[in-house]
Amino acid sequence: MKRGIAAAALVAAAFFPSAAMAAEEAESHGSWLMLAFFAINFAIFAFVLAYFAGPLLRKYFADRAILIHQNLAKSQEALAEAQALARGAAARAAGLEQEVAKLKQELEAETDFQLGRIRELAASNTERIRRDTAITAAAMVDAAQRNVRGHLAAVAARLARDLISSHFLDADQSRLLDGFMDRLGQEARR
Amino acid sequence: MKGSRVAQRYARALIELAERGQVEQWGAELERLAAMVESPELKERLSSPELSEASRQEAIAKIAERLELSFPLRSFAVVIARHKRIAEIGAIAEAYSDLVDQMLGRERATLTFAIQPSDEEAARVVAGLAAIARKQIIPTIKVDKELLGGIVAELGGKTYDGSLATRLAEAQLKLAGQA
Repeated sequence: MKRGIAAAALVAAAFFPSAAMAAEEAESHGSWLMLAFFAINFAIFAFVLAYFAGPLLRKYFADRAILIHQNLAKSQEALAEAQALARGAAARAAGLEQEVAKLKQELEAETDFQLGRIRELAASNTERIRRDTAITAAAMVDAAQRNVRGHLAAVAARLARDLISSHFLDADQSRLLDGFMDRLGQEARR
Repeated sequence: MKGSRVAQRYARALIELAERGQVEQWGAELERLAAMVESPELKERLSSPELSEASRQEAIAKIAERLELSFPLRSFAVVIARHKRIAEIGAIAEAYSDLVDQMLGRERATLTFAIQPSDEEAARVVAGLAAIARKQIIPTIKVDKELLGGIVAELGGKTYDGSLATRLAEAQLKLAGQA
């Protein structure tokens, strides 16, 4: 009901300004009635404006405040996240430095180890080669000695064979037979 | 025991047929037959595939007859031919000889001298081997100058080496440091 009255007043003021103007001209000499009219008119205008536009404005500003709060929270969250990322990056950078230092240390240790190993290997190879050489030399000397001994033995045997062939007598055969018979006798007694 | 199983089977069969006094005679006859059959000319003819089995049996019977073998040996020769064992006849004779030696307590020995031995020397060695084997020894005497001096006797698969050549070889090995 109130809304209807207010709306009718607004429409009347808007569509019939002549009455208001006439009154204004009539009251141009500073009439209290005109002042009251304008005051009431303004009050109606202010009321209508507050009545209709107020909730909308309040809602608009409330929504706007919520949105601003949300944006603010998001911004703060993003800021915190960015700060965390920055801290993480800084930490990683610091970790990388440590890792590089550690790797360098490991590399140096491995190099030392490999050098030591190569040195040991070289030493053992040298020892092995020295030992093999000694063995080979000994074997060569032994083989040479055996060859010489074998050759001398063959020569001696050939000489002995020739000597026996040319000087063998029946008496020698008899002595050999006697020896052979002794062996047979021993065999028979077993 | 020498010879294949087949030869030993035939030899055993023959010796079981022989009487005590016949074994050596049959052995000698068998050796004659083997010597004849194994002569290169006859061996080739008897093994010829062109010869029929009947002809082969007839041929071996005639050979036995010509060698004047005793009748059991003639029959034995034909049996051998019938069983297609003519090629085994040498081995059969050898196996038979071994069986006879076993039966009569004899053993064969090969005596190889460096120089031709006197009868007395050979008899001494045979007596020595008989004392070892405790059997009668049937010696086969050979001469091999490569022995240089002394003797090598083979008895029952064992060798008794009393030769200078062997002693010299041993001395050579010792001298060479290989013994």
